[in-house]
Amino acid sequence: MAAKDTVPSATGLERLVEALRVLPGVGPRSAQRMAYHLLQRDRGGAGQLAQALASALAGVHHCTRCNNFTEEEVCALCRSPRRDPSLLCVVETPADLAMVEQTLSYSGMYFVLLGRLSPLDGVGPRDIGLDRLLARAADGQVEEVILATNFTNEGEATAHYIAEMLRARGIRASRIARGVPLGGELEYVDAGTLSQALIERRAL
Amino acid sequence: MNRPRAEHEPGYVLHTYPYRETSLIVEAFTRRHGRTALIAKGARRPRSALRGVLLSFQPLRLSWSGGGEMRILVGADWQGAASLLRGAGLMCGFYLNELLLRLLPREDAHEALYDDYCEGLSRLAQGSLPTSTVLRMFERRLLAGLGYALQFDRDAADGAPIRPEGSYLYEPERGPVAANGAGGEMVVSGRTLLDMQADDYRRPETQAESRALMRALIGLRLHGQTLHTRAVLLELQEM
Repeated sequence: MAAKDTVPSATGLERLVEALRVLPGVGPRSAQRMAYHLLQRDRGGAGQLAQALASALAGVHHCTRCNNFTEEEVCALCRSPRRDPSLLCVVETPADLAMVEQTLSYSGMYFVLLGRLSPLDGVGPRDIGLDRLLARAADGQVEEVILATNFTNEGEATAHYIAEMLRARGIRASRIARGVPLGGELEYVDAGTLSQALIERRAL
Repeated sequence: MNRPRAEHEPGYVLHTYPYRETSLIVEAFTRRHGRTALIAKGARRPRSALRGVLLSFQPLRLSWSGGGEMRILVGADWQGAASLLRGAGLMCGFYLNELLLRLLPREDAHEALYDDYCEGLSRLAQGSLPTSTVLRMFERRLLAGLGYALQFDRDAADGAPIRPEGSYLYEPERGPVAANGAGGEMVVSGRTLLDMQADDYRRPETQAESRALMRALIGLRLHGQTLHTRAVLLELQEM
């Protein structure tokens, strides 16, 4: 087979460049730069990266209670005696959970959907584990479920249907508020946000 | 010279898809250019001004440049005024958008249908009509806009007026004919046909029969594809 001789199979370097391209924001050129850097200047770092990646892949999975990443069956946050078990905050992603934690103003528990209802993409309730959320919320300790999904149409629809299902089961649901950002000057707020802030205004 | 090809065109976002690292492909429905795909560069950056704008169900003014299959969005302004969909209305809105995405060919202006869409959304937002009525009215106008106008007031075989007490088989390419004992979702009562002709969906039997009939007629145009929104809604109802 003459063709096989002229087209060599992928070398380790080529496979590394190709593998690095799975990272967000990494195109062929940056992937090549990274590969050369790892092999040429930082072989120790490359070893650490390979090990960390392998052990994370093997050891990190989703918490059986909240769906967040953990190496244990139930994550530290879900096991913590200092968290308030009567509050359950529903977020779309682990990054959203980290953001809510950063506020230092919430001490309840979480449930991570790992997505949102997106009917046009065919993402339905089972794809985001709503059956598991309902079971979690019905543990007898949860008194209020705080819906902190995004303020997109998909996030709003997700919050709406979760709230309906919780209501049918006698569990209180609430939605985080939205409006003008902290320190926001009306002049610079987008019209849609300001319009919602006016619609959802409250008495003083 | 990079002159915009279209400026401040009234339109809606039907759906968006991630594109490259930070961009979006926007499937838009515009009044004068019909369904069109636009690339919104950088729209997924954390501080993009387009983030709160390129959402479905809100009236926008869109500007773009370039011809061909893919155009570059150069501006999107929120037109406000209309109230947003909420709750179950959102799911109806997704359904309307999916119908348009599946059935409407690109770059075909449908101004009357666009106006029907605006009206449908505002009725869903205000709750001025039952949602099923809004959906049936839009489905019928959509099929008419695609060239499949439905006839509900005359027997297609002999041109006689529909009798309310009669039973009819709706033949997709012709119209209603006497059912003569046929069955299935294409068989409806004369009363239902007359109600549909008048956009009057108050009768429960009319609601049920018209829903089944329209689903079958739209199903024909989808050539066997199933609608995601319908499947998701069924799944939600089972929970």
